[in-house]
Amino acid sequence: MITVDDKKMEWKNDMSVRDLLNQLPHTNFCAAVRLNGKLVSSPFFETTKIPDNAVIYLLPLIAGG
Amino acid sequence: MWNSVSGDTKWNDPENAICIASGPLGGTPGYPGGGKSIVTTISPLTGIPIDSNVGGYFGPYKKFAGFDVLELTGKSDSEVIILIDGIESTIKIYEVSGLTDDSYELSMALTDYFDKEKPVNISVVSTGSAAKNTELGCLNFTWFDAKRKRVRYKQAGRGGIGTVFAHKNIKAVVARWSTVSMKTNQPADLDALKNVTKLHAGEINTLDPKQNRMALVGTTHLVPIMNDHDCLPVNNFRYGMHPESKVIGEEVYEHIFDKGFDGCWRGCAVACAHGVKDFVPFTGPYKGQKVFVDGPEYETVAGCGSNLGVFDPFFILEMNFYCDTYGLDTISIGTGIAFVMECFEMGLITKEHTGGMDLSFGNRLNALELLHQMARGEGFGVIVGKGIRKMKEIFASDFGADAAIMQDIGMESKGLEFSEYMTKESLAQQGGYGMALKGPQHDEAWLIFLDMVHNFMPTFENKAEALHWFPMFRTWFGLCGLCKLPWNDIVPEDNRETKEPAKVIKHVGWYADFFSSVTGRKVKPEDLIPMSEAVYNFQRLFNLKMGYGTREHDTLPYRSMGPVTVDEYLSRQERYDTALTEKHGVDISGMTVEEKVAQLRKFREEQYELLKDAVYERRGWTPNGIPTVATVKRLGIDFPDVMELLKSHGVE
Repeated sequence: MITVDDKKMEWKNDMSVRDLLNQLPHTNFCAAVRLNGKLVSSPFFETTKIPDNAVIYLLPLIAGG
Repeated sequence: MWNSVSGDTKWNDPENAICIASGPLGGTPGYPGGGKSIVTTISPLTGIPIDSNVGGYFGPYKKFAGFDVLELTGKSDSEVIILIDGIESTIKIYEVSGLTDDSYELSMALTDYFDKEKPVNISVVSTGSAAKNTELGCLNFTWFDAKRKRVRYKQAGRGGIGTVFAHKNIKAVVARWSTVSMKTNQPADLDALKNVTKLHAGEINTLDPKQNRMALVGTTHLVPIMNDHDCLPVNNFRYGMHPESKVIGEEVYEHIFDKGFDGCWRGCAVACAHGVKDFVPFTGPYKGQKVFVDGPEYETVAGCGSNLGVFDPFFILEMNFYCDTYGLDTISIGTGIAFVMECFEMGLITKEHTGGMDLSFGNRLNALELLHQMARGEGFGVIVGKGIRKMKEIFASDFGADAAIMQDIGMESKGLEFSEYMTKESLAQQGGYGMALKGPQHDEAWLIFLDMVHNFMPTFENKAEALHWFPMFRTWFGLCGLCKLPWNDIVPEDNRETKEPAKVIKHVGWYADFFSSVTGRKVKPEDLIPMSEAVYNFQRLFNLKMGYGTREHDTLPYRSMGPVTVDEYLSRQERYDTALTEKHGVDISGMTVEEKVAQLRKFREEQYELLKDAVYERRGWTPNGIPTVATVKRLGIDFPDVMELLKSHGVE
């Protein structure tokens, strides 16, 4: 299992961040996520694999300072 | 300011005014970002009004003492300190001499002098030695950090306000006030204020640790995100990413920042104003001594780090520290020195001009030496301290440098140095910078991700709508005495399911409730934009009054639109080739790189002009960028002198 924005979701072997976002509604805004506390930006969504028991938060629009 | 200055007033004329206001909401403890001030003056860099949003306790303390706005005009014959004492209900002006120019030392001494028993009662506004010798001076606004038992800083950084302050011979302005509670700002409906404060602060306390973690890392989380999206300025905005950027982002600064509460106003849940204790500079008057550094924030990291080709978190700390101590704007310093370094590498200037200094990218020691020269008022640093626009003139006239290439790579517009975002692939953000009233500062419109990453605004009309709504709403924060960060840097978990996620409508509703509870004037979310739209247009007219404020002044250096050099083109060749072939239908077979650079430039400059047309129309301006008579009447700013000004520019 993984935790996404405090909700439990099923984990799949070889699952990428992009695979996860494709399963969720309204994620076209998402430019970065926190995966186990580390930032992952959208250019790396395809290549970043999610480990089992991961904790993920979808970051907001990154609206600038 | 409008009434104080004429169209002929220059920054160093006595009638120029420095105004400090904290709006109706500034000074609300506990409301996230509820303690800001807006500072304005005629800028030495631009000749038009600059506005700079700043934290620290001065604005609220001044207001509690009885003054909504402080306006400083004239010029003193000798140095003065102005004390606004809200406890004693007095104002005193002290003639002083022999006091230190070091902003930290001065602020601490004045805090100690004016309320030794309760230093938290004191907030000091001051600048530093370099503000006297350059046009990039900032103002430091303090608060007393009771835990660390020291003064802390935030800056009204942009546009050389500190230079005007120093020129007026003002050593410091001090505000004194005692107990602060939610009642101090005299809200009309205390219960409603408590309710909305609890909602917004509670949400930030819950969500910030999951999202940007600003209470831990400030805005340094932006460094890796900007880098990954090719938006982090590297080597004078040539490139947008660098493999070494990881060592100047949140992963490093999280471990360097001193732990503890770091709000620049009381009870702010965002608490992003971090600092580093026991830092030991390796140059300058504090060499070898332990100091506290307030910062760095993203802009300083990018401007004084990656944009100079330096990826050293401790060098950035030293730049940050000396800019604060000397009273310098870290953004203009970073962008300005980056320009100098590129000129040096291009051979436009040489050691003969720099006093023997090698100023190629990455030269840490000589970048710091420029700051020390600015503080001492000597050497090549004095020329750098004039800002990019004047440097371009001096390099061309005195050193024989190529004016055309400097126009392309000198990252200024309206005379103000760019803040630290790469805009080559975001037309909307090019507009956000080029059509910003005061010059290219991102606080009016920050649309890179909405435009470039999310493609939420594919048409000119979409972009124009964004370049109407966002500048208006962002202006509202400055008018009301608030910080923008709690609006859209920490957002509700269900925000992405709303119709317009970029506007964070739930928070806009809270801001309407906040405004209603403090002022007693019941407003809805849709009432907020017209408040600032009137002021926004009035500021545009102010630019017009000062001899600017028309289309020709909303220009950009080409570096902000696309690749100036062959090297830049080749570094992103696939992207640019694709743009030429797929977006513009150009057959690039047989074209040299130089020809492709020129062709892409033609398209991108045309697009920017088309964007101007669309934005001016949406804002209710003429094709020359001047508010129409219908617009000023609709907004209720059709004052006689405004109508006369419009008439003198053929707008009737």
